[in-house]
Amino acid sequence: MSNLFTLEFITVIIRLTTPILFASLASFAAAVTGIGNIAIEGIMTMSALFGIIGSNLTQSAVLGTLIGVLIGVVIAMSIAFFSMRLGANAVLVGIAMNTFSSSLALFILYQFTGEKGSSASLLAPTLGSWNIPVIKDIPILGTLLSGHLVLVYVSVILALLFYILTYKTPLGMRMRACGLNPDAAKTAGINVQRLQVLSLIFSGIFAALGGIYLSMNYGKIYVNGIVAGQGWMGIAANGVANGSYGLLLIAALVFGAFRAFAIKVNIPRFGDLVGAVPYFAVFVTIIALAIINTIKVKKGNVAEQ
Amino acid sequence: MTDKKAKKLDLSITNETVFSFVKTFIAILIALAITFVVLCVVSKNPVNAFITILTGALRKTRYIGLVLERTVPYTFAGLACGLLFKAGFFNLGAEGIFVMSGLIISIVAINPITTSPILHPLIAIVCGALVGGVLMLIPAYFKAKFNANELVISLMLNSIYVAIATYVVRNYFLSQSTSLIATPTFLETATIGYIIDKYHVSIMFILMLIAVIGLQFVLKKTKFGYQVRLAGTNPNFAEYSGIDSFKLAMKTNFIAGMLAGIGSAAQILTQASNFQPSTTVTNIGFTGSLLAMLGRNNPIGILVSTFFIKYLEQGTSVLYYNDTSVPSEIIAIVQGVVVLLVSSQYFLKKFREKKLLQEGLNEHE
Repeated sequence: MSNLFTLEFITVIIRLTTPILFASLASFAAAVTGIGNIAIEGIMTMSALFGIIGSNLTQSAVLGTLIGVLIGVVIAMSIAFFSMRLGANAVLVGIAMNTFSSSLALFILYQFTGEKGSSASLLAPTLGSWNIPVIKDIPILGTLLSGHLVLVYVSVILALLFYILTYKTPLGMRMRACGLNPDAAKTAGINVQRLQVLSLIFSGIFAALGGIYLSMNYGKIYVNGIVAGQGWMGIAANGVANGSYGLLLIAALVFGAFRAFAIKVNIPRFGDLVGAVPYFAVFVTIIALAIINTIKVKKGNVAEQ
Repeated sequence: MTDKKAKKLDLSITNETVFSFVKTFIAILIALAITFVVLCVVSKNPVNAFITILTGALRKTRYIGLVLERTVPYTFAGLACGLLFKAGFFNLGAEGIFVMSGLIISIVAINPITTSPILHPLIAIVCGALVGGVLMLIPAYFKAKFNANELVISLMLNSIYVAIATYVVRNYFLSQSTSLIATPTFLETATIGYIIDKYHVSIMFILMLIAVIGLQFVLKKTKFGYQVRLAGTNPNFAEYSGIDSFKLAMKTNFIAGMLAGIGSAAQILTQASNFQPSTTVTNIGFTGSLLAMLGRNNPIGILVSTFFIKYLEQGTSVLYYNDTSVPSEIIAIVQGVVVLLVSSQYFLKKFREKKLLQEGLNEHE
């Protein structure tokens, strides 16, 4: 237990938080305009795979990343197409996309490598880590802030930028208006559908980066089942946050830290159950929020009378 | 005049049922066309490969048997999801129910409770069904009482259930003969044999047919079925017309959970020899929701679409056996495209509206 709170352990937490942070941002970005994107797991899988394949074909990690992000955007757009243009239920489209992606990823992986397990046979440059020039020489701050994987920095910057976009710009204000009351937004002259498509694209980009992080930054190859429920973790974080950006980030960090603890502490008998605690936390939170809401509504009714 | 019209079988495209058939048919054609294009890219002999996918399942009686056998658990999953969707619940809990019911069924199946080969699986099935029904009440209760989002709750419960099942199997029922997290092999008395050996037809298959027809009857002909349909299409109206929505929610979810539990028994007691929490029943519940979409939440529709998908799936396995350049996951393309198109309200809608307009104009003249 003594080596729990070392700098290395903080680095482990940061590394494990990043994919969950991306997934949380993806879920939040869609939810801002009132869309439930539950295909995050599927987008992460496909982008993780296409990042590696793109990187293998172009022999450039940056181009590979772009291709992975592009795939994420394509999937997000097709969710938008089916749910808005063709009137399919967004949730069901999401389920279909998830199931579709996991099989399709296997199929595509097999076409490129001849095996169904991993992309180990594909030579693909991956994204490395980044040492911040001056800061890296400062004793403790250096290890804390410098030398992390590239996408870790990207996730933090994007989280900040997205905050500014949603809360400090007119565009973000309109997006939130769509989520709060689409009819009112429409009456105010906002093109609700266009903003919803836009927020789905943001969601796709975030989810894609989460997947790419797993296969090209945190790891070096695509492995079947690489996402392993981290997309659901993001949805869970968004569920707990209940519309608050600060809570979203905290939830992502808590879930990430939790995974790090579970690995580090390794509780022998209850290891399986420990892994489910974040899901249980969401379960309890959502029910608690619903109960509080119901009580509030009841009280409001009494007061009115 | 209206009487005459009602009696005449309306087979024009403007009829709702005919239209949904045509729509599904066209969706399948599009999906198959896309599959063919993909085959042209990946296979050296695309035409042959395509024919194998379409007819491969018919080449051996054993293949037909596999199709029939695999249809059973997925149909139960589809029925469970279809019933929930029909009643207006976005509850995806079937996935987790398959795991938890599977756990109970497996515990019954590895313990020598009785020596009777009839009673033993029967006890397992009943336990599985009851556990499924009761667990499905959790999201239903919080939805009906506090309007908590049943989608997120059920998704979280799915993950929690897999963790619980893994924990229980690892710590209390771990097989010593394998390195996997699996229960010991089921007892001979617990496994379900075939009634018609040649086609792998077991009692579960019969049970599935009963469930399909029974559910169809209940939904179409009983008061409960009417309430379910009403609550699904217009919950406010249902509430105002005096339906006890809480009771209805609990009933519907309990039945759906039981269906999922029986489906889990169908998978485990006929097609598996032991229970592995992370693989034996994975994705059946989620696929069930897709099959429900494909069958438009109609029990017979669900059965037909499940059979269709499993039939093509067998074709793709035969294909992979002959031509290793096409893995059987290609079925995902067919499944994905068909499901997405069929569930799209506006797909072909313009075409239908045009026809309707034309018909109206003709009548006017």
